[in-house]
Amino acid sequence: MSITRRVFLRNSALAVVGTAVVPPFLTRAALGAVEPGTRNKRLVVIFQRGAADGLNIVVPHGEPSYYAMRPSINIPRKAVLDLDGFFGLHPAMAPLQALWQQQHLAIVHAAGSPDTTRSHFDAQDYMESGTPGIKATEDGWLNRALKDMPAPADSAAFRAIALGPSLPRILAGHEAALAMNNINDFTVGGRGAKPTPIANTFEAMYAQSVDTMLHGTGQETFDAVKMLKAADPAKYRPAANADYPKGRFGDSLKQLAQLIKAQLGVQVAFADIGGWDHHVNEGNTQGQLANVLREFSQSLAAFWNDLGDLAEDTVVVTMSEFGRTARENGNRGTDHGHANVMLVMGGPVQGGKVYGRWPGMEAGQLYEGRDLAVTTDFREVLGEAVVRHLGNANLQNVFPGYGAPHFLGYLG
Amino acid sequence: MFAHRHQPAIAILLSLVLITGTVPPVFGKKKEPSPLAGRMADSQRALHALNRLTFGPRVGDVQRVLDMGVERWIEAQLHPEKLDDSALEARLAPLRTLRMSTREIVEDFPPPELIRAVADGKQAMPSDAARHAIYMAQLERYEKRQQKKQEAANTTPVPSMETQPGKMTPSPAAGDEELTRRQERLEAEARVKPLLDLPPEQRMKGILQASLENPRTFALLRGDTREQLLQGLDAKQQETVLALNNPQQVVADELMEGKMLRALYSERQLLEVMDDFWLNHFNVFLGKGADRYLLTAYEREVIRPHALGKFEDLLLATAKSPAMLFYLDNWLSVGPNSDFANGIPRRGPRVKQRRTVARKRPQANAKGKRSGLNENYGRELMELHTLGVNGGYSQKDVTEVARVFTGWTMKQPHLGGEFQFDERMHEPGDKIVLGHRIKGKGEKEGLEVLHILARHPATAHFVCSKLAQRFVSDDPPRVLVDRMAQTFLKKNGDIREVLRTMFTSPEFWAPEAYRAKVKTPLEFVVSAARASNAEVSDAMPLVRQLQNLGMPLYGMQPPTGYSMKADAWVNSSALLGRMNFAMTLASGKIKGVKLDLTQTFALKEPSQDTAPQVSNSEQTLALLENILLAGEISPQTHQTIAAQLEDPKITQRKLDDPARPPNIGAIAGLLLGSPEFQKR
Repeated sequence: MSITRRVFLRNSALAVVGTAVVPPFLTRAALGAVEPGTRNKRLVVIFQRGAADGLNIVVPHGEPSYYAMRPSINIPRKAVLDLDGFFGLHPAMAPLQALWQQQHLAIVHAAGSPDTTRSHFDAQDYMESGTPGIKATEDGWLNRALKDMPAPADSAAFRAIALGPSLPRILAGHEAALAMNNINDFTVGGRGAKPTPIANTFEAMYAQSVDTMLHGTGQETFDAVKMLKAADPAKYRPAANADYPKGRFGDSLKQLAQLIKAQLGVQVAFADIGGWDHHVNEGNTQGQLANVLREFSQSLAAFWNDLGDLAEDTVVVTMSEFGRTARENGNRGTDHGHANVMLVMGGPVQGGKVYGRWPGMEAGQLYEGRDLAVTTDFREVLGEAVVRHLGNANLQNVFPGYGAPHFLGYLG
Repeated sequence: MFAHRHQPAIAILLSLVLITGTVPPVFGKKKEPSPLAGRMADSQRALHALNRLTFGPRVGDVQRVLDMGVERWIEAQLHPEKLDDSALEARLAPLRTLRMSTREIVEDFPPPELIRAVADGKQAMPSDAARHAIYMAQLERYEKRQQKKQEAANTTPVPSMETQPGKMTPSPAAGDEELTRRQERLEAEARVKPLLDLPPEQRMKGILQASLENPRTFALLRGDTREQLLQGLDAKQQETVLALNNPQQVVADELMEGKMLRALYSERQLLEVMDDFWLNHFNVFLGKGADRYLLTAYEREVIRPHALGKFEDLLLATAKSPAMLFYLDNWLSVGPNSDFANGIPRRGPRVKQRRTVARKRPQANAKGKRSGLNENYGRELMELHTLGVNGGYSQKDVTEVARVFTGWTMKQPHLGGEFQFDERMHEPGDKIVLGHRIKGKGEKEGLEVLHILARHPATAHFVCSKLAQRFVSDDPPRVLVDRMAQTFLKKNGDIREVLRTMFTSPEFWAPEAYRAKVKTPLEFVVSAARASNAEVSDAMPLVRQLQNLGMPLYGMQPPTGYSMKADAWVNSSALLGRMNFAMTLASGKIKGVKLDLTQTFALKEPSQDTAPQVSNSEQTLALLENILLAGEISPQTHQTIAAQLEDPKITQRKLDDPARPPNIGAIAGLLLGSPEFQKR
């Protein structure tokens, strides 16, 4: 890939230089990308909040006890989109099937946290802090992942992005991170291509502030505002084959793609999607889970298509706080369980394979007799992306107290 | 003459004019020597005290503190019970739920669990007309939901092989539903239209009648119609109308509104600051189930009465509070060897019923309810409430403490339950906590553990360092924390004494501490409104601003509470949010917040005979710098804004209208959004 890709980048950089009205940072970004080692790798983390039912998302259809334990909510073998004769995708995940076939989608099953809490908020907290069982951690692992990494050459303003109204736990911490609810509202004193006098005044005030933190963040902020105005990401329309579904999650990924396409130097990004807590009437091939899963899969597929060549440098990881009970409950739903499934997609991903050890679903194999057991620590999956994709080898800092002995190898 | 409440502003204006003969054109240059040069000047001491002990100085506060003497003012704040707060009480009067017991709240504003109980015939339908209408509206909603669930359960999902890849398959009913809803809304609007012009009493009767005839009426109304309906109704009637739509929201909104009003208007500012501090220390999340209506009593009966009292009393009160028992799941914690776990019956019927349920639904316990030990509270008690994460306890201690607190539960949490110790859930036998042998003696074991924890040196240190972080600096001097911790231990955790030690310590008054703290969003929003003398008739818009700024009231989900350190709050989107808030507030565009800087501060509208525009603008700027920032502004910020004064967009001057006054709102907004105003 690398040669064609570099040629493409060099050509596009030249093309950029040739046009008069392009803001300088854009040419810098494009030129910088030609030099070896400075290409902007990025990691996108997706959180399925509410504990998604991994057993109905990537279905172990070769497991007889799966069907025995879920008489009314199982995904029938003939409806499953088979992956390898044992696992298969829920039919609502059809938009991602092509990625699997192109080997850009890998699956890690029975992944999860060593902490066994079944509380949504504790478990989410642990997955975002990256320190299961330890509440006092103030920052998030995705922020720490940036700590030992050089910022992109042009600017640090857009290194870390969360799509949403406030900065999530996962991105809290020392490194500058932006929360953007809507990229069109990320401004002060009104929209429009040019900064307003109000914005200019604020910028000058913060530029001269003696408070180092306000000074630094002020500078980052106005850099970001200006970069955003100049890059005008709104002009990067979704690619023709990027069919984002309606809804917040699709919007989030669409805006994230715009930021990435505008070459703003995004290194890590975060988005979340709720609505997975199906205690009652979960449904099977159709129903509540199918609906949210369809939105989820369509959004991810659209994002992938939208990124085009940029997907080569992108890895997307999905996670959810814990899985759900192996058996369906008395309300045709499922309750809080333990292990879950994680998806990894991206250019460098060696996909088309289900990673991790399958613990089985026989009575003696279930955790506490009820839940899928965890065989892969979620940090092992994330750690591989941090080390092998982002190139940050200091995993001890990203996941303190976790000495990842080995990786699954989905990045080779 | 001017209204009474304008006097402080005028006093500043007058004193300035008296001292200098005129308003200094460039105020920044005439500043007192920087505090870093040595000791704080008196006015700086007053400002510092106000910045730390209150939610921000109001106009004239510095002078008032100076007149009274800084030390005397602090002492007065340490004894809030002696300060008259009747003006605030009057503002809080319409928020009736703030004074109601949890039981009353639940009955007047029924949660889903109570509605279900009524639907199942386990609870009687209230006869009172207002309550009756509220219950009926919720019952209708509940039944609709049940019906939908039933329908969903009855339609057997058909396995579909031809799911269209990459395409949304819109549900065929979606369009129809939208149409139906619009139609229903129009009908609801039409039903209440005749009511709008009726006098309050009659209107209220009509509203209840309309709701009984069609319980969804008020859920369907447009916001402005609802508002029109509320005009002229008394507090209780207004609550009833709002509750017809969403009873739980009324309780949550009043709680948040009350907190905002207290921060803005209480004369007992230090008490409010400490109330906020302890609420954050003993954090409970408003969004977690029953805590929606348990928090009101929690703040009123558990936190505020002990905010300046003894730490051990506060700790015990939180441990027994339904809000905390629910939030950290201790009410579900069952001793593995307890009678409850062993199925040893207390009385026949209850257990029999449980067994039946268990047979029918083998997964009845699947949600982890009442199935065993829950360590959540035991861990947070030591990690967050007392010893601190490095306080020297082990996982074994966590488990032992959890065993100690089994049986600390409550009756019917969803129906306003109270604390109760349930011997049947309690783990029998001795426990070892932090090396102490706790003899098995039921509820008293918990008291013993709380006593040990409350007086532990690690607790003293942890709590004092958090206090110093709130009041002094992000990384408070160790010597200060040690001194406070000594007081804590010597005076049996007397919080007032610990504060007094802090306020009389040289580190508190050190130049390094002066304006060293970055405001949290709450401190920023409230201090901006206080500084600009805003008249808040509806606090909800300000409450919502806090949501935008990432600090929703009672909205911290994890038990850690919000950070008090700058790095948690200084990020790009937050700064933009602050600047935008400052501009919106100062231009008077926040609903429910009246802000008339021109009138309040007697800033003169220039007439034909006034001085040229420039000096007029500079005077305005200098005045606003004094009013909003007590003059504590860097020459750079001053000059940056001064340089903008000529800009037509700031002055709002049109070419053909040279005499327009400077845009006071814009200048004030710039000052409130300035780096200086972000600090306290």
